[in-house]
Amino acid sequence: MLHFKMGRVVFLVTIFALLAAACGAPATEAPPEEFVFGVILVGPKNDRGWSQAHYEGGLYVEENLPGARMIVFESLNPADKPEATLEGVVDDMVAQGATLVITTSDEFEEDTVGAANKYPDVTFINASGDDAWSEGMDAGVAPSNEGNIMGRMEDMKAIAGCAAALATETGKMGYLGPLINFETRRLTASAYLGARYCYENYRGLNPDDIGYTVTWIGFWFNIPGVTLDPTEVVTGFFDGGADVVLSGIDTTEGIVVAGQNADQGEKVWAVPYDYEGGCEEKPEICLGVPFFNWGPAYLATAQAVSAGTWTQSWDWNPPYWDDLTDEVKTNVGWVDGPGLTAEMKAHLDDFISGLASGDIVIWKGPINLQDGTPYLAEGEIASDNQIWYLPKLLEGMEGSSE
Amino acid sequence: MKVALRDIRKYFGQVKANDGISLVLESGQIYGLLGENGAGKSTLMKILSGYHQPDSGQIELDDKDVKFSSPAEALANGVGMIYQDPLDVPSMRAVENYLLGRDLRINLAYSAATSEMIENASQLGFKIDPQAFIDTLSIGERQQLELLRLLALGAEVLILDEPTTGISAEQKEGLFASIRKLAKESGKTVILVSHKLSEVQELCDHVLVLCKGKFVGEVDIPCSTERLVQMMFKEIPPRSSRVSYLREKNLLELSQVEFEGERLAVTGINLTVRAGEVFGLAGLEGSGQKLLLQACAGLIQPKRGKIILDGEDVTRFSYHQMRAASVAYLPAGRLEEGLVAGLSLIEHVALARPQKGFVVDWNYFERITQSQIDKYQIVGRPETLVHELSGGNQQRALFALLRSPLKLLLLEHPTRGLDVLSAQWIWQLLLNRVEEGSSILYYSADLDELVERSDRIAAFSGGVMSRIVTATETTADELGHLIGGEE
Amino acid sequence: MSLGRIARYLWPAVPVLIALVITGLLLVVFGVSPQAGFGAMLRGAFGDQSRVLSVTAFWVPLALASVGLVVSFTAGLWNIGVEGQIVIGAIAASWLALKFNFSGPLQIIFELLAAMIAGAIWAGVTAFLKTRGKVHEIFGGLALNNLAIIFTNYLISGPWQPPEGGTFRGTVPFPTKALLPLYGDSRLSPISVVMVIAAVVIVFLLLRGSYWGLKLKALGKNPSSAFLLGVSSERETILALMFCGALAGLGGAVRVTSWFDSLRQSISGGIGYLALLVVMLSAFRVLLIPFIAYFFSAVLNGSITLQLRTQLHSSLGGILTGVLVLMVLLFGELRQLKRFSEGRVSSRPDE
Repeated sequence: MLHFKMGRVVFLVTIFALLAAACGAPATEAPPEEFVFGVILVGPKNDRGWSQAHYEGGLYVEENLPGARMIVFESLNPADKPEATLEGVVDDMVAQGATLVITTSDEFEEDTVGAANKYPDVTFINASGDDAWSEGMDAGVAPSNEGNIMGRMEDMKAIAGCAAALATETGKMGYLGPLINFETRRLTASAYLGARYCYENYRGLNPDDIGYTVTWIGFWFNIPGVTLDPTEVVTGFFDGGADVVLSGIDTTEGIVVAGQNADQGEKVWAVPYDYEGGCEEKPEICLGVPFFNWGPAYLATAQAVSAGTWTQSWDWNPPYWDDLTDEVKTNVGWVDGPGLTAEMKAHLDDFISGLASGDIVIWKGPINLQDGTPYLAEGEIASDNQIWYLPKLLEGMEGSSE
Repeated sequence: MKVALRDIRKYFGQVKANDGISLVLESGQIYGLLGENGAGKSTLMKILSGYHQPDSGQIELDDKDVKFSSPAEALANGVGMIYQDPLDVPSMRAVENYLLGRDLRINLAYSAATSEMIENASQLGFKIDPQAFIDTLSIGERQQLELLRLLALGAEVLILDEPTTGISAEQKEGLFASIRKLAKESGKTVILVSHKLSEVQELCDHVLVLCKGKFVGEVDIPCSTERLVQMMFKEIPPRSSRVSYLREKNLLELSQVEFEGERLAVTGINLTVRAGEVFGLAGLEGSGQKLLLQACAGLIQPKRGKIILDGEDVTRFSYHQMRAASVAYLPAGRLEEGLVAGLSLIEHVALARPQKGFVVDWNYFERITQSQIDKYQIVGRPETLVHELSGGNQQRALFALLRSPLKLLLLEHPTRGLDVLSAQWIWQLLLNRVEEGSSILYYSADLDELVERSDRIAAFSGGVMSRIVTATETTADELGHLIGGEE
Repeated sequence: MSLGRIARYLWPAVPVLIALVITGLLLVVFGVSPQAGFGAMLRGAFGDQSRVLSVTAFWVPLALASVGLVVSFTAGLWNIGVEGQIVIGAIAASWLALKFNFSGPLQIIFELLAAMIAGAIWAGVTAFLKTRGKVHEIFGGLALNNLAIIFTNYLISGPWQPPEGGTFRGTVPFPTKALLPLYGDSRLSPISVVMVIAAVVIVFLLLRGSYWGLKLKALGKNPSSAFLLGVSSERETILALMFCGALAGLGGAVRVTSWFDSLRQSISGGIGYLALLVVMLSAFRVLLIPFIAYFFSAVLNGSITLQLRTQLHSSLGGILTGVLVLMVLLFGELRQLKRFSEGRVSSRPDE
């Protein structure tokens, strides 16, 4: 019996050894003119949402920077790949000649700092993080070879909120929130502020009458048994009298449920999120979609790294106001939905140009937090820091702040 | 359909289940297949219905050679068998079961099947709700359903294995009427496998008798019960004198004990076994004798009544408590319920002995095992895996595992499948135990063995225990009558 | 050495080779040379010291859970709940790490003990459902797996969420003394390797030399015979599952106190299910477990590099291990069949 067991072990080892001998081909070294960069995604590269937007940003760099080659690693999360670590993936990317590594989730924030310390000659970008922000909470955490990039989605959310305010007949809207953190709080708050502005200035109604409910499902998408079921949450919004649903999650339940209600003759609208084609689900009730466009920022970074001119920065990139769908120039975008009437569209365009010119500033006092604490004094304009680190929801919004 | 079996042989290891059987069955006739347990009836019928393949020999249907590799293939050729346990799917509806086996069609036409089923059923006088779930049907109804299914699939030869076990008298009448109708009006060939002589005499046209794997004769009905018993059990056993170690003390007393098996309820058992007594139980398989042993072993709990062991009330004892009270139970299925296939003799010995400490002293048990091997003349080594032993050696191993001393030994078929010498040897071991004061309560299908080895004997028939007879004053013939339920 | 003897030695390698060939063919289908593909996997697993450390660190909880499963499989139990037992062990260790403060090494010792107890209790629930509620351990185990994962999610998004708000990622990092001491800047704690070795030795001795091991063996091979021979099936079933649960729970503790530094959303991510494959491949021989588990860990870690080098989906590693298990099971069956047809397993007549 013992011989048999040992035989088995010996063979496993031998096979490995044979493989090692047979496969000892030299590592593929990058040709000198090649610019190799890595992109690490938290989800699949074709998720029609957050990760896909980053992946397409990487493809955009490959197309527009001669010699650029992307190494992509998808679904780096402990549920899909319990054996994988960010550090290990970065090791491999660097071994393949990567001089720029983009980590595309705030989940990777800590590990990116570790990797950046380990490879001081490689440039790291953590999208959506704030470790490289000299005025941020974590200032000084990131080594000098790590930067952050994020798009100013807040502006697009303000437009989304405005569109909702222009469309609503009941004055009530629901916001389908993922989980609670600084980012998700400031996004829904921006949508609320946009809605207030437009309700008051274009509809001539009292913004304090707006009913704005935020329900957090608990994650970026539905996990049965773990998160709230987004379908039920949206149904609840409509049952409660809301007629517009704004989505803050990665998946399409918001517009799907709204579409079903519309099919039954109800007058309801939806604003999806994250994916440029989000309206396709039910165009006639779609007011528009805010989306990320990472390509331009990634291209600029890649060019700078390639030319040796990159320096650490924390970039909160604005939209290209002249054309919010211009993929070459804008970092965040907004596509008008077919559900907008001509009148609504005129008002929305006016709002957008106001934001662009700076005539309209939604983050301007007086603004109180949900519990009534003054946050911005009369006439005070919020700093980046105040927006980024919004501690609670705002007065007038319903839903939990933390 | 005419069926001919030519020189069918089927061996299981050393057991010659079918040893050159040749039979011819004519269509339109009802045959009874008789024989004691182990005579080879079931094996033969399973060969005819495609469940087993014969080692050699031919099957001819209407003078054509056929070979079946599965029951489905046999059915496609017109041979269908209804097993003692109907082979239906309990969680399905009747009509769904009715459709089983027609797997060539993708689309199941339920409504057509339902009306077809109702029509076929009414022709035979059956009433089954097609929408009823199987587990809500009685055994009798499930048999009827199975019969309908086989007929719908074109069965020309019908084999019924103990069809009246567990069905009501009324259902039995209905079943027999429909079988007669099928044979006489539709020309089906029917084979009834049964132990119940009265039923065979009631229903069949001819009786075929098997004994020890061979075909021993055919008689036409009517025929006397005596004749049938004689054919089945062949030689009248020679009476051998044996020493009795009977003592005065009552070891085991059962009063008004009632218990239930899956299909059978046994009531009103009053039985006293004295110390040093060998008490034999006769009866066809499933008549209640196994349940009695299990009740005495603590494996099933009596519903009513009292069991006293050596003065102690053990009615509610569990098996492990009974074991601790020096009761041993040796079931018939050696590898199913007695030994653990895959474990060695030495491991069995270690398991069966009372546990000392946490660590097994393998050296100690190796010595013990070797001495038991010598004592019980087991052909094997301590590290031999029990399933590699022959049947006789497995039986010896089981005896070797018994603790000593024992008050009561409960045995099922103690010598089944053993040759004469081994059987003699096992009984010598048992008598040694009896001499030490143990009592034995056992059952056997071998009437000669019962008469020869027991002090007293009782027979079971359909859950009822017969009068108790003294072995020296009875014959296998008398036992045969008692087994048949006659007083 | 006779030809038959050589064949006997070669036999275990056949399924491995077939699995490699099938995976190689898949690589060819996707336009990657098998040489480059397997080369990438090898480099990913053993290319440098940090990779070996990473493979080893991932191996520890996998090996612990697998060793535990040998015990429950020996008793004939399909402890699919091992995944949940890992998770609950991780939760218990995290509870002590976050909420208690013991002096010095007591902290980590108590965490490991708590994890083992929690894993054992979690497995005990499955066992209890089986012996008393007649719920098959597969179904009970699956339900409890889900429950453990939901419980984790509740904790990290609720009571244990970091002060800056729940990101759904995990709790705050544990204090250093609540973590296992790590080797260099790897995720491997040398102590955890000792745990694996200890577990293997203990289980080997238990199954070989103790009454308990013998009873489990009998129970696993034939419960009704074992019962008649005097084995209490209820007690041994519960103990076997709890023993496995304790080792799985320890694996969970290693996961939070060395691989991670906090309780995370997917603390196990299927290590328990992987362990089931490891055990099946080992044919329940505990001495083989560490090697097979290491092979699995190497293949999985190697397939990360494979994905990065070839841009193929990294599930190729999963395919390799899956095919391997299938092949080994198939060949095991074939061997069984062959033996059967040679009549070494005696069949009995029906009556």
